[in-house]
Amino acid sequence: MDKRGQMLQKINEISFTVNDLTLYLDTHPTDENALTAFSQAANERKNLLEAYAKEFEPLTMNCVCPDSNNQTGSHTSYPGKKHFTWVDGPIPWDNQGGVL
Amino acid sequence: MWTYEKRLQFPVNIKTPCPKTAQLIISQFGGPDGELAASMRYLSQRYSMPCKEIGGLLTDIGTEELAHLEIICAMIFQLTKNLTPEQAKTAGFDAYYIDHTTALWPQASGGVPFNACEFQSKGDAITDLHEDLAAEQKARTTYENLLRVIDNPEVKEPLRFLREREVVHYQRFGEALEHVKAQLDSKNFYYFNPEFDKQFLKK
Repeated sequence: MDKRGQMLQKINEISFTVNDLTLYLDTHPTDENALTAFSQAANERKNLLEAYAKEFEPLTMNCVCPDSNNQTGSHTSYPGKKHFTWVDGPIPWDNQGGVL
Repeated sequence: MWTYEKRLQFPVNIKTPCPKTAQLIISQFGGPDGELAASMRYLSQRYSMPCKEIGGLLTDIGTEELAHLEIICAMIFQLTKNLTPEQAKTAGFDAYYIDHTTALWPQASGGVPFNACEFQSKGDAITDLHEDLAAEQKARTTYENLLRVIDNPEVKEPLRFLREREVVHYQRFGEALEHVKAQLDSKNFYYFNPEFDKQFLKK
């Protein structure tokens, strides 16, 4: 698996942890172990999303920063040109990254 | 308010197209126990839910169901990619192809279009939570039926993930039901509608 795939897998895994803990905390809002785990996972997710957006396309609107995103110039139609980096990256539902 | 993340909740990477499989799993997009009905059910019910914690849970699960809908649609998209006219003639998929080519349109495996009558939003917390519990179990059963007839591990892996989520959501809705019951008269939980007949709520 390439670096993009490895980083994305880590993001998927930690995001799943955050998501599952969210549902648990919705019905157990004072569980201290779960609150600690949530804080750790949410913080790690934030860092991983930012690190990913620096090398590749931003995955969330909060990570969009045209001056620092996608420094590898991957999956972009505007290499070397300042642009809205939200449009970069492969299509999430297409394992071949899009047709055209 | 919602925001989008440019990734699937669980990766889908299907290298071998199979329109027959797409025609089976489309039920979990627009079928009676599919992800679209699940999401619309919870996101519709939440407004009148009297406990704000449960309104919050319905929001979070209803949102996750949208991510599940996206996984199912990604699978159908990849299973029908670069389809030849010969492959389009696959039994069961041929009729869908005539109306939608390889676009995504919510329907059940048998061709019945998505319909809001597949879910209920009743305005009674006890009734709605029982509906939600049943919905999660029905979706789990459907995923199990799919897993029994599908062999391709690239298709099975995301389906297994989605099945697991039905089990977790069932647990959370069970806890939500207990939470509502804790605020009612324990001698008869099912006597009235706690969203409407508020005089019966515990003071």
